[in-house]
Amino acid sequence: MKALMSVAALIGAVGILLLAGMIVDIIPSNTVRLVEGYMPMQVLFELTLFVAGFTGLSYMMGSMGMAVPRFWQGILFWSFILLYLKFRVYPPIPFSVRAMYGTVSLIAVFMWVSANEEDWKKFKQPIMNILDAQTGANKLLRYAYLVLLPILIGGFSYNAMVPKSEEPIELRTVHPAPPASTKVHGKTYTLQTSQNPYRVNLEGKFDQEYSNANIVEQGMGRLMKPNANPWDKDAQGYLKYVREGGEIFFQNCHFCHGDNLNGRGLHAFAFNPIPANFTDPGTIAQLQETFIFWRVSKGGIGLPNEGFPWASVMPPWEQHLTVDEIWKVILFEYWHTGYYPRTWD
Amino acid sequence: MKNSFSLKAGALLATAFGIILVSGSTGGVAFAADAVPEGFKKAELSPEPAADMIEAGKRVYFTKCVWCHGVDGAGDGPGADRLWPRPRNFNQGTFKIRRTASGELPLFDAKKPIPGQNDLFETVTHGLPGSAMPSWEGILTEEQRLQVLSFVTTQLVKDRKFTDKQSESQTVLQLDELKPIAASEESLKKGAELIVEKKCVECHGAEGRGDGNAFNLKDDWGFSIQPADWHKCWNFRGSRQDPYNVKNIFRTFSTGVNGTPMPSFADNSTVEERWHIANFVNSLCEREADGKPLSIDPLADKPKINFVVSSGVVEGEIPADPEHELWKNRARRYVAMGGQITHKPRNFVNRIDDIWVKSLYNDKHVVFMFQWDDRTKSVAEGKLPWAPTSVNVDVKEQDPKTGEEGSIASHQNNYTVYNDAIAMQTAVKWKELPAPIKPRYLFGSNEQFPVDIVKWEADGSLRAFEGTGWDKDFTQRDTYEENIKILHSEWKNGRWTVIIQRPLGNKKDQDYDEDTFFEMGQYIPTVFFAWDGHNGDAGRKMAVSAFYYTFLEPPTPREAYIYPVVIAFGVVLLEGWVLTRRSNKRKGKTL
Repeated sequence: MKALMSVAALIGAVGILLLAGMIVDIIPSNTVRLVEGYMPMQVLFELTLFVAGFTGLSYMMGSMGMAVPRFWQGILFWSFILLYLKFRVYPPIPFSVRAMYGTVSLIAVFMWVSANEEDWKKFKQPIMNILDAQTGANKLLRYAYLVLLPILIGGFSYNAMVPKSEEPIELRTVHPAPPASTKVHGKTYTLQTSQNPYRVNLEGKFDQEYSNANIVEQGMGRLMKPNANPWDKDAQGYLKYVREGGEIFFQNCHFCHGDNLNGRGLHAFAFNPIPANFTDPGTIAQLQETFIFWRVSKGGIGLPNEGFPWASVMPPWEQHLTVDEIWKVILFEYWHTGYYPRTWD
Repeated sequence: MKNSFSLKAGALLATAFGIILVSGSTGGVAFAADAVPEGFKKAELSPEPAADMIEAGKRVYFTKCVWCHGVDGAGDGPGADRLWPRPRNFNQGTFKIRRTASGELPLFDAKKPIPGQNDLFETVTHGLPGSAMPSWEGILTEEQRLQVLSFVTTQLVKDRKFTDKQSESQTVLQLDELKPIAASEESLKKGAELIVEKKCVECHGAEGRGDGNAFNLKDDWGFSIQPADWHKCWNFRGSRQDPYNVKNIFRTFSTGVNGTPMPSFADNSTVEERWHIANFVNSLCEREADGKPLSIDPLADKPKINFVVSSGVVEGEIPADPEHELWKNRARRYVAMGGQITHKPRNFVNRIDDIWVKSLYNDKHVVFMFQWDDRTKSVAEGKLPWAPTSVNVDVKEQDPKTGEEGSIASHQNNYTVYNDAIAMQTAVKWKELPAPIKPRYLFGSNEQFPVDIVKWEADGSLRAFEGTGWDKDFTQRDTYEENIKILHSEWKNGRWTVIIQRPLGNKKDQDYDEDTFFEMGQYIPTVFFAWDGHNGDAGRKMAVSAFYYTFLEPPTPREAYIYPVVIAFGVVLLEGWVLTRRSNKRKGKTL
């Protein structure tokens, strides 16, 4: 038990030192790099390690006779979570979201310290001691708090009132409700009934099952199925159209949406909102193919009113591509990300 | 047909040239046994990758790489013709970023994904910043990256063989063992002298903005190539996502960039000299005012962006001299620029990828200082064939598929030259726009919500327009032009500095329906546009920023001094109340 705990304590200590080093900028923040794709799992794993580490640390300090009072454990753990959210997680989380996480974790910490009457008493004890000021040290502390608290709170409110220039927060509907139909190149397409004319099997018939069987495999890398290479000279039907769609994608779309369709193209860094990441399960994977057809054809300028602010640089692709080319690009996007388009039923 | 013929001829010529070179260097070795440049060591060639690795790599290649690099790895995939630099043609085995001596193949070993021992693996892992080659880390696993490289090095590199001991050798820069020299003032001074002595400035320009000899350089395939701009180290291809690391510069300087006019300086400079040069080049990269490196966004490998351009208040005149204290002390903002790719003609290759903006204001005017790197000063010869207000001008966009000869890379040094220009677009009546307040991105929504565009051109003109939609010609606003002024405009050593003054505006003196009012403490939506004349930029072929906000910093209000004191006093009262309650309760208990 002791050996296990001391290992955990070591992990905890190293973790805290690393994090502290990153906060004060002695250790470069990419020492342990967060890598896209692994990021959520990495963060969860790190947090688990930290919790294990803290358990070990508190156990070791307890057995060395330097037990940290429950009161300080609670406060330290909560401030650790706040610091971790602010300095470790990347891309940075906006303050409003951090405040929400902070509140939730504060409640969790309170639940932890007040799990039973005895714990709660232990937690309250230091506060009561200061209020009662029975010893000289506590008396001193009480006076210090009396003076420091007003100064601190006054300082915070001054800080909040001094004019600052922070980017206004903009909320936008990422997937606005689609219209019933859309007119592209003179022809009207009803979104509920239209189909991608290139999602066809070898006989040239619309066949979602066939195309779904030939998309790239999920999992790291998202590679094509070994026997479904769109670059095969003899590729016919679905796979041939995937290749043609890919050609159009890499002549037009990758500048923003990126070589891996993850929204990290050449020009992406300059734009706000950033281009959509198709590999994210929250984009094309949840949408119908005809919805994409409408969004691609009409672009940022064709967004309905709830799609404000009209800051998107997404081109209305009907200005650049034919209807056939648009359908092929959509076909390619689903192939390359390994997602199935949602169906209407 | 003709195309492929000339290519073959080129390849033949290159091979012939290569043979002469190789025989030349072997002759040299015989003359001075084992003449290895300082800092280098001879190494063994790596073994051939296993057959199953190669086969697996083919699958990776045809999923991810073929789209740009092409079926035969000739850098002629579907995406190639609209890219500059073009995707690498693997066939000749010419790779830019290496630790091996000039002309040699890069380090690659399918069994050693170790940083510092595997150049190609690092290139795929970190990508080539400033080009379309992304970082594949987190997308492809380590194994998959090694597999695809096994395929590329054995199947697509056709003119050379990584394992052929007869023709290939590896002389490796011992980068991990060489200790960098601290970037002291003395070292920087020596570096500054050395870049003149070694003629770096001939291509990279007097201030290192890549503006020397910028349009006469060609790579091995005959495509125009630009010298690096040392002030944007995050765009260095060999920056390995660690742009402020001096070792990367030392490596590139020591080994050269194969296939380009950038030679290796290993033979004619000592290791010490190379460190001085690397230190100096590194010191030129843009930094914060306190000398710290800019923080780089790891997702984009570019400096992090803040979308608020804040303007500082000044008493009296705003200086026209960019060297004035007030300008020097003013914080600057990095404004990222992408190509205009929304409407035709799209700009796939924008040569201006950022602008530094500063702003000051007084009781009458708001002044913007724009500084951006542009390798050439471009002023159109004669009169432009369209009116200044024209939006739909006759500039063609690059066709999607043209073959190498018609590609965007071969057009780079023969565009019709137009004016360099910069413009800022602000929303008119921005307070009335539905929340969040922004007009349509490009040139305004409609007549109800127009935008105000102030455009400066390198021919010395400064004009004000009203924009009412992306395809609507501008309306020129003479009445407003009387009130705007160029305080300063200068192109020097690859950098433009332009200072534009415009009225703050108020309801009394100006036309509310046409002018943008710069109201203190408010966020005014602002977009920046830039044109590079030598890139053939005109009309909608330009570089664009996202929506930024202009924010005139208000002075601290008096309330900010009063309320905190009141609050602090309230806290004291609260404390007294808590203490009294507690002590009463205790007394009650003990009694």
